[in-house]
Order: sequence, then structure tokens, then C-alpha cells
Amino acid sequence: MIPLSDHSMLAKRVHDEESRQSFVNDFRVHLASQVFPGNFPTYYNRVLPQFIKDKGREPETRHEVRRVMTHDPYYSFWSAMQRNSQEMIWDSVIDSVERQLPELIEKSRKPGNKGSLTLDPDLETPKYHVAADIHLQPGAYHSDQIDDDVAAGAMYDWGTYIYSMGGLGTGNNALGQITYGFFKNEFPDAKPKRILDMGCTIGGSITYWAQQMPDAECHGLDVGAPVLRYGHARAEALGAAVHFSQQNAEHTNFEDESFDIVMSHILLHETSRTAIQNVFNESYRLLKPGGVMMHMDLPQAHGQPPLEGFLFEWEIYNNNEHFFAQLRDMDMPELCRKAGFKDENILPKSAGSFWMEDQTPYADDGFEFPITMAIK
Amino acid sequence: MPKDDQKKIKLPRTAKGKKPQYFADPTVDKLLSMVLTLMGELSVTRDRLDTVERLIESNGLFKVDDIEHYEIPDDVNAVRTERRSAYIARVLKTVQDELDSLQQKGDGKNTELED
Repeated sequence: MIPLSDHSMLAKRVHDEESRQSFVNDFRVHLASQVFPGNFPTYYNRVLPQFIKDKGREPETRHEVRRVMTHDPYYSFWSAMQRNSQEMIWDSVIDSVERQLPELIEKSRKPGNKGSLTLDPDLETPKYHVAADIHLQPGAYHSDQIDDDVAAGAMYDWGTYIYSMGGLGTGNNALGQITYGFFKNEFPDAKPKRILDMGCTIGGSITYWAQQMPDAECHGLDVGAPVLRYGHARAEALGAAVHFSQQNAEHTNFEDESFDIVMSHILLHETSRTAIQNVFNESYRLLKPGGVMMHMDLPQAHGQPPLEGFLFEWEIYNNNEHFFAQLRDMDMPELCRKAGFKDENILPKSAGSFWMEDQTPYADDGFEFPITMAIK
Repeated sequence: MPKDDQKKIKLPRTAKGKKPQYFADPTVDKLLSMVLTLMGELSVTRDRLDTVERLIESNGLFKVDDIEHYEIPDDVNAVRTERRSAYIARVLKTVQDELDSLQQKGDGKNTELED
């Protein structure tokens, strides 16, 4: 595994910690490139013929495929190994973070002063965030285990990188690179003065934006204090000016019409049916006239054949991504309309994909993230 | 300097949320977790041995035969005992997970999905 680029907040790994992480990375590459593809012949040669024999027709929906595939021994074994690999990611990063936690906290207490950090200890963590630990990260992104905790952020930095099998890039910022490249392509002459990234966790994306646009005032918000503390110290270590604040994207304390860009990176599928509309309403409220909303998330079900639709949803049922099940079928332009955007200014797009660099098995599959874009 | 209580922090190791059961017999789920962990740990050990062999070769520090006749001092023995204990806990983590989940508050379901 090619390691993340070092910075002063990154948890350092001793020999066996590095080796364990590399094993998990390589195991996941093997699962993705050698085991997962076997689900296709399993379906077409075994599961589908049996379905046709029983029902006299092919499955019409991904839900019908799920009911039969989840009982297939090949699929089940791949699925069980994939789940284990996700748990092993966190298990492989937790030791180095736990060992260095006092030192990381000390460092985070005296970051630079380019940006800022504003925490709100009274902020209520939304139910959709506390119900289960998203992505199986033990303790999730919001739990403080100790005063001034940064553990969740330190785990997230290595953990998401291993999750992506290096696809997030050694700067752990590929998602920010995608939205930044997309924005520059759509609006080559724009000079945004104030930018907000909702659900920023450790600020991988907004920190990248701040590095590219040092004259813009860049803000990142999240409900999780430990990821924000870490993100602030990380951004300062990288020399970027980002203003982090602990807020819920549904209702923020920023003024009306105060941002040129309001965006998010794979935040929406971690929310709820009520919250997602609130996030769009809040985005509309915060944008200046002519400002741009860009919410990047995972592909929806429209147009996916039943088998592909089913396989794409693995994380819903196996990686605590519960709301993604509903987001898959939601009408994103309708959310924009309800938020106040005019029809002609709602522009669903997609962007990708240097998310997957050449060290990942997905390098050539043309994966694209949909971006719900609207202009106020 | 960090306070004493910070040195003792133990981070949670089990994610909250219902864990799917993949096989008809849940014991098979546990056995698979253990096999995969053993795969990982054997790989880690092989990497470590490889590092040692390369350092021996590049530095000429000692003979490989010295390893065969190594007498274990008490302090080394204690370190190894601790490491073995952590190793056993890691491979058997799947058993601990079940216990941790039983002790977590809530059922791990996202109740807002019904709204």
C-alpha cells in the first residue's frame, strides 16, 4: 500500500501496524478484483436460471434479486468476507491512534492560526447519526472518549484511505479534487469569495479547495467534534485556512445569502428523509443570488439493471448506510424545487473519476458521482 | 505532558449497529472472522520476519543460528505474554463483538427511516 502523505497530525505506524493495514488494503483489493466479479456468473449461471424455473420470468427489481442472491453460497461468502474486511480496516488503524492519542491531542491544542475552530458542546447529534456507527467506525464520528478527543478524526484519516484502497489519493482529498475540477469546468471564470462544505468530517475536500483558492473564505461544518478538532489541526498542518464549526447542516447559524458555493461530499446518504430536505432548504437560504449548490453523492437506482442495482446496495445492509436505501429512489430535482430553486436552474450532473487511481481495481470502470447542482 | 488518565484511554472497538448474519449457523460467521484475522496476522508476522532478515543481512548483526538458541530473559517473556494475549484477543474479536453489542444502548436501527 502506498502510504498517505505525511503531516504532523497523521498517526504514525510502527512496523506491525503498517503491515496490518497493508494486509487489509491488499485483501480488499483481492476481494474487489478477484472475488466480487464472481457474483455475475453466480447470478447468470445459477441464481437466474433457478428464478426463471420457479417463476417463469426474470426478476424485475433489485429487491427481487436481493431475496434470491442473499441465499446463494458464493454471494454470502463474498459478502461475509467484505463485511469482515470493513471491520478489519478499523481494527488495523485503532492501535496506532490509541497509542498516540495523548500526543495527538496535545498537538491539536496548538495548531496554526490560519483558520479557526468553533465547537458547540450543546449541539444535539441527530438521530440518524447516533442510531448506528456509520461505516462501522467504532464510536462513530461524533463520540468523545476523552476531553478534546481527536481519535475519531485520526482513525478516519487512515481508515477512509484504506477503505478506498488508496483511491482517495495520498492527500486523502480526491472527492474535493472532483468537485473542484467539476466547478472549474462548469464556471471557468467564477471567483467565489465564500464557500461552505457541509458534513466535512476531517475536511479533506474543503482543505483542498482552500489550497486551490487561498483568497476565498472556506468553511467546513460537521456535527462531530473529534473529527473537526482533527480536521482543523490537519488543515493548519497543511498550511490551509479553513474555518471549521460544529453545526448541523439542516439548520446553521450562518446569515442568509452569505455563500457563493454550498456543497457536500457524500453527506446526503448519511441523513434522513426529513433531514435531506432541510439540508437543501438550508443550502438555498445560505446562497447568495447566483450562488451554486453542489451536493455530490452516490449513484441512484434509476437506470441500473436489477443485478447491478442490488450489488451496488451492499453497503446499505452491511456497512450501516441505512438511509442510502431511500436516497436511491428519491427525486433530487424535486428536493431542489421544494427548497426554492427554479426549474431552469436545477441542473443534475455527474463527475468523476480520478477517485480511483491506478492502484485500485476500479481504475477503469468509469465510476461517476452524481452531483445535484442548482443555481439560486 | 499528557495527564495520567489520558494514558489509559481505551477506544471502543465494536461498531454500534446490527451485524448481519451471513451463514445458517452463526458459528460459521465467527469462524470466518477468525480465519481472516489469522490470515492477516500471519501476513504481519511474515512481513516482520522479512524485515528482520533484511536487517540481519544488511548489518551483519548476528547469525540466524543465534535465533535457534536464544534464551528468553524475564522481561522479554513478559512482553511476549502481553503480545500473545493481545493477539488472541484480536483473533477472537468476533466473540467480543457479540458481547459488546449486547451491552450497547439502543438497537442500532435508524428510527428516522420511518419518518
